[in-house]
Amino acid sequence: MNGNDRQPDPASSGDSAILADAEADMADGEVRLDLDQAFDSGTLYALRAAVQAHASQAGLPESRTDDLVIAVHELAANAVRHGAGAGRLRMWERDGELHCEVYDGGSPASSVQSGLGGESGRAADEAAGPGGNMADRWPFLQGHGLWLVRVVADQISVFSGPGGTRATVVFFLCGKDPSVSAPD
Amino acid sequence: MPVSAYTQVTELSKDAHACLTFGEPDDLLDLTAAFVRDGLASGFRVVVLSDSPQLAVAKLGWREIAAEAAVAAGQMVMAASQDGLVGSQGFSAEQAMGWLRDQLADSRRQGYEGTRVALDMGWALRPMTGIEELPVLEEEIAAAVSGAGMSVLCGYDRERFDPVTLALIAPFHSHAVAAATYYDDPVLRICRQYVPPGIRLAGEMDFLTTDALALALGEAIRIDGDITINMANLSFIDASSIRMIMEAAASLDPSRAVILRCRPAIEARFAQLGVDRLPQVSLVGVDER
Repeated sequence: MNGNDRQPDPASSGDSAILADAEADMADGEVRLDLDQAFDSGTLYALRAAVQAHASQAGLPESRTDDLVIAVHELAANAVRHGAGAGRLRMWERDGELHCEVYDGGSPASSVQSGLGGESGRAADEAAGPGGNMADRWPFLQGHGLWLVRVVADQISVFSGPGGTRATVVFFLCGKDPSVSAPD
Repeated sequence: MPVSAYTQVTELSKDAHACLTFGEPDDLLDLTAAFVRDGLASGFRVVVLSDSPQLAVAKLGWREIAAEAAVAAGQMVMAASQDGLVGSQGFSAEQAMGWLRDQLADSRRQGYEGTRVALDMGWALRPMTGIEELPVLEEEIAAAVSGAGMSVLCGYDRERFDPVTLALIAPFHSHAVAAATYYDDPVLRICRQYVPPGIRLAGEMDFLTTDALALALGEAIRIDGDITINMANLSFIDASSIRMIMEAAASLDPSRAVILRCRPAIEARFAQLGVDRLPQVSLVGVDER
């Protein structure tokens, strides 16, 4: 079934497994940002279409492209429903891997550097409520959607910081052997 | 809620002249199938006119209508447009009415107390002489069905027929028929499926439209029997929507089956979310279009 029936690997996901994020990758100077797109509840359809087009262009097989689209959708849906109500997707390719980062804290650059967050970053703080902690802001690893993300993605990492929650899924492009490349 | 200005295809009287406007070929097929199914069940003779009778038999086949058997038994006739309403010299209302009257006469001669005629009007989109007489044909059909024990269902593609033509022919019909639609925008359409009973999802479905899905599922559940959820033209579905469908299935009496018709990619999603734990659910794969 085109790898769709694989079970999630507990060791390759969860908050502790921090993968290189976009900033680190950009600093290497070896990657090209394929897609940088803001989304909210009204633009999820356009987001899915853009992700599908870029994944196909990057050479991801059709069934895995479907998997990537559902993974990004479920992460974005979480940001819309349980997080800031909006967010940003960034997608890039590195070393035969396709990385998709969903960030619900407004402009990633400003919020990461200043720690203050943009408009939607403040919205996320309000959504968390008085005394709300980071875990409340985006109840990651709950629900069927995020279960599905873990089933289909080759790797997943989640990081919650002052500016919001950042979730990154990695899909191996063809030719890359998951059994060799998957982190322990 | 379903559009109430329309008559349900399942509630047409014995001498109705119904105008079925559809936006998707599936609507035409489904509503025609319901019209045919009910006609056969009532013991009427049923005539189906389309551009491709052989294809129509096959398409009615998966909708659980034994078209081949009914044709063999003489209760059903599958006619091609060019052999029925359209002659070799183009179109004339007189000739078309002659064919229709022959159908009615055949039914009576064979002892049927009722006749149902389903006309796919797609042929009228082709350039041909005499087509300006189309409103005349519809007017004469209206006169012919009255008290004759014959009902006629005329299928018009509202995307392809121009509004002027549709406005001209509509008043000659006694009923307007369309699929009950729960949601319709450029991305998603949720409507009732009449044969086999259930709902049909086309486009992309996500959590933003689960209210409409809940309404559609709720109505499908209230009807007795098995439920088919036709997702043959659905290209995306998210976890929230799948969960809602699975919860609806799980809430049913175990004697009722839920049939999910979907493409391989959608089938995989249901499998990943554990649909195999629901014994009453079966997945039927359809080819990508």
